[in-house]
This record gives sequence, C-alpha cells and structure tokens, in this order.
Amino acid sequence: MSSESTNAIGANPRGRVGSGLIFLALVVVAAFTLLPIAMSLLNSLKTDGEILNNILSIPAHFEFSNYINTFRKIKFMRSLWNTVVVATVGLTGIILFGSMAGYKLSRTRGKLSEFLFGLFVMSMLIPFHSIMITLTKIARDLNIQGHIIGLGLIYIGLGVPMAIFLYHGFVKSIPRELEEAAVIDGCGEFKLFFTIIFPLLLPVTATIAILNTLWMWNDFLLPLLMLTDSDQYTLLLSTNMLFGEYGNNDWSAILAALVMAMLPAMALYLLLQKYITKGIAEGAIKG
Amino acid sequence: MLAFVFPALLFYSVFMLAPAIGGIWYSLTDWNGLNPSYKLVGFANYIEALTDDPIYLKSVFFTLKYVMFMVVLQNAFALLLAVLVESRRRSKVWFRTIFMMPNMMSMIIGGFMWMFIFTKVLPYIANHTILHFLDRSWIGDPGYSFYAILIVALWGGVGYLMIIYIAALQGVPQNLKEAAAIDGANKIQTFWRVTLPMILPAVTIGIFVTLNSSFKVFDVVYALTGGGPGRATQVIALNILEEAFYRNNRYGYASAKAMILFVIVCLITLVQLRLMKIREVEV
Repeated sequence: MSSESTNAIGANPRGRVGSGLIFLALVVVAAFTLLPIAMSLLNSLKTDGEILNNILSIPAHFEFSNYINTFRKIKFMRSLWNTVVVATVGLTGIILFGSMAGYKLSRTRGKLSEFLFGLFVMSMLIPFHSIMITLTKIARDLNIQGHIIGLGLIYIGLGVPMAIFLYHGFVKSIPRELEEAAVIDGCGEFKLFFTIIFPLLLPVTATIAILNTLWMWNDFLLPLLMLTDSDQYTLLLSTNMLFGEYGNNDWSAILAALVMAMLPAMALYLLLQKYITKGIAEGAIKG
Repeated sequence: MLAFVFPALLFYSVFMLAPAIGGIWYSLTDWNGLNPSYKLVGFANYIEALTDDPIYLKSVFFTLKYVMFMVVLQNAFALLLAVLVESRRRSKVWFRTIFMMPNMMSMIIGGFMWMFIFTKVLPYIANHTILHFLDRSWIGDPGYSFYAILIVALWGGVGYLMIIYIAALQGVPQNLKEAAAIDGANKIQTFWRVTLPMILPAVTIGIFVTLNSSFKVFDVVYALTGGGPGRATQVIALNILEEAFYRNNRYGYASAKAMILFVIVCLITLVQLRLMKIREVEV
C-alpha cells in the first residue's frame, strides 16, 4: 500500500475512488434486491398482452382491474382477517404464557425448575418437519384441523419455548427487591406479576412480538397442513391457490396477488424498521 | 410455580412434545395414517430409508449440497455487505433497509416473484438484448434450477445475517482499529487481524443459523420448482411431505425419514455448541 496514504480516510484521491467503487457495488446489489419486487409491481399494473410485449417498461396506463379481480378471487379481506386472527391468537398465548413461565422458572431454584426449563429449551432443536406428521394427526384427533383458532393454538405450543428462553434470561436482570417489597405489602403472586413484573419486561416482549409475528405471518407449511377450506385460508395459501397444476399461469392476476400479500408486512417493516432490526439482531444473538 | 408454568407446559406438551414422541413411536411402525391398527416393525423403516430408497437418499444429498453452498455463500455475502454498508455514512440506513426487505416477506411470495423473473423477464431480456446467455430454462433444467434456488435463497436470507454482522461490527471498539492504523496496518490488514477475530462469535452464530435453516429448507423450493423437474430439486422436507401426504400415506415410514432429519440437525447443533465452547475458552 502506498506510504503516502494518511490516516484521514477519503482525503486522498485513491480513497475517494475506492469509496466510489464501494458505493457503486452497493447500488448494484440494491438494484438486484429490488428487481423482483419492482418487476412484480410494474407488471401487476399491465394487461397480459402488455406483459408479453413490454415486460420491462412502465405500464402504458395503470390496469387496476387486475387488482379488483384478484381481490375477489383470493378473497383478500377474508384471507387477511384469517391471517390476523391466527397471528393474534398465537402471539397473545406466546407472550402471556411465555412470560409467566419464563419469569417463574427464572425465579425458582431447584431440580424441577431446571428440568422444566431444560425441557423447553431442548425442544428448540426439534425441526418442524420432524413433528409435522404426528402433529397433523393430533390436530385431527382434537378436531382443530381446519380451524384458524386451532392453528393459532398450535402456534402457541410451537412458539412458547423460545419466548420462555428469552424471558428467562431477561428476568435475571430485574432486581428481586421490587418483588420482596410488593410481597410485604400483601400483593398476591399473580397481581404482583401482572402489575409490577410484566410492564418491566416490555423490551424483551417487543422483541418476542416482532420475531413471532414475522414467523407466523410468513409461515406457509403449517397452514398448508392444517387448513382445508378456502374460507379459512391465510394470505399465503390464497395466493398459492392461483397457481395451476401445469404451468399456464395467469401472471397479471398472480402478480397483483403477490403485491397485495406482500403489502401488510412491508408497510409494517417500513413503519417499525428500527424496532424490527433491533429485535432480529437481539433474537439471533440470544437465541 | 406450577400455576405459572402450567399453561405454557400444556400447549407445549400437546403440540410439540407429544408429536415428537409420537413421531419416534410411529417411525417404528407400519402405520398408514388412516387405518387405526398398525404393528411394530422395529427399525425396518430406518433401514429401508437409508439403504433402499434412492429418492430419499437423493433428496438428502441434494439438501446437503444446498446446505454447503448456503453456509459459505450466505455468510460471505452477508459479512461483505455488512462491512461495505458500515463504511458508508449517509447512505448506510438506505442500503440496510433495502437489503433487509426480502427477509420481511415469506419466501413463498419471494419464490413466486422470482419465478416470474426466471420464466418471463429473463427470456424477454435475452430475446430483446445481446444478453442471450440469459435464455436458459432456469426452472426446468436440473442443471440450472439448483442455482436458481440458490440465488433466491441468498436473496431472501443475506439481509438477515447482514443485520447480525452489522451489530457485531458496531461492537468492535474503535480504538482497537485506530491503534492498528497507527501501527501502520492498512484497512485490509486491520479487517483480517483485528475486526474478524473480534466478531468471530457472530460468525459462529451466522453459520449456525444458516445450517439450521437450510437443512429445513422448504418454502423457496416449493414456490420455485416444487421439487422438480421430476424430483431433481427435491429437498428432505418435500420428500417427507410427499411420502406422508401425497403419495402412499406411509406415515410410519415418513416419520422415520423425519427422525433421520432430526438426528442430523441435532448432531450439527451439538458439534456447533462444542465448537463454540472451545472457542470461548480460547478467547
């Protein structure tokens, strides 16, 4: 390397060229990243003939009829509602039961407490595909196959171990004196937890809420196995339905569906980006 | 204590523990999912899967190949992007937002979008420009469909790891880098000798996350190729699904295949944890 280079980065021409190249490389990768999204957006506003002839151009006029047709075809409002219900049921259970168990296991000493915590944590090793066959049978036996609420309940069982793990770690950072003071004041166990402890868990609750919402919202295989009736379908299942068995895809309809299915998650991402990024980094490092 | 733990334990036992234990049990039987009666067959299902099922073994090796490519490429790209993005000042946030975007949507959606690119957009570009080499049967030709899957999986997964690496890079104390610069190290030397050793724990996490997720790969392949052409791109998860629900309803046999996947994932995790411990002691 040249001996002239000073420690002021970018002050010499060579540093500036390097910086320019890095910027260019990042722009290329960004274009690659956005390509499928942009292409879907553009072509979802074209007629089938225009897709065939001018796939790369800006649409001549905005063909919103694709959206109107697809909106009905995939029962958009119904599917969106189903997805919201599933995620809400799942998330409520995961946070409520996860925080209670994580808190208590963290505060209790002894063999039983350690065993239970180990049991929950161990299951984070189990791949979903290893349990999906028997899970399907159990859901059928319990008569919850084909119900969106039932699907939400299953998500509670699958999601609660990681929540317990994260809560368990976080509770250790909360001083015990708070609880001792509350107990002296004659506060019951549940009241103590919900009025004093639970609000203090907010940072980790946010992380858990973000990670689990993303997971349930974007999960495809479990709903595919559990939901049988198109009235129960989530957004992803309804979109998947548009693909015929043997090619011949109606792309203008499909692309409109893809854009609509993508929209809620994207809007949420752009709105809550700071928290989502933070939640993901924390979840990965602690999980 | 139990009053607090019971609800979580109940849901966990019914939907996680019971299926796991049930899976082990059924993997030792010839259960077909519908018939209430079945009999124990011992390890026959495992022996059949490992010695007499070329389709399954092919899916295992295909998955292994995919995992190896993903572990190397996904982590390399993510780390590279993290370093480059962190070197920007004003545009940093923009690039991070964009690179993270695909991770926010289901790979089912992403896979379908890419299917449009591979089957419609690329052939169009090839026909109308000089980029004729783009006119390939990206989805239909087994020689290319592996790379198509890889491209889409990387597109969807790199941003997530990049966030982890950025967090790690931000944790490297600035004065260490400055000290290296004063000692005459250039930027590349500083990266290899100072930054990389400091972020090794994050690299371990990155490799672990990739291993774990790519063994279980399903959505990308389902959306893009459906395992085809034929079964050329069938991954383990698809093979299990097909065996249990779409072909012969051999639930018992499919459970054995699922348990083999479980053992593989477990072994990798144990090795990973061991490595992590050793490294932590060294540091």
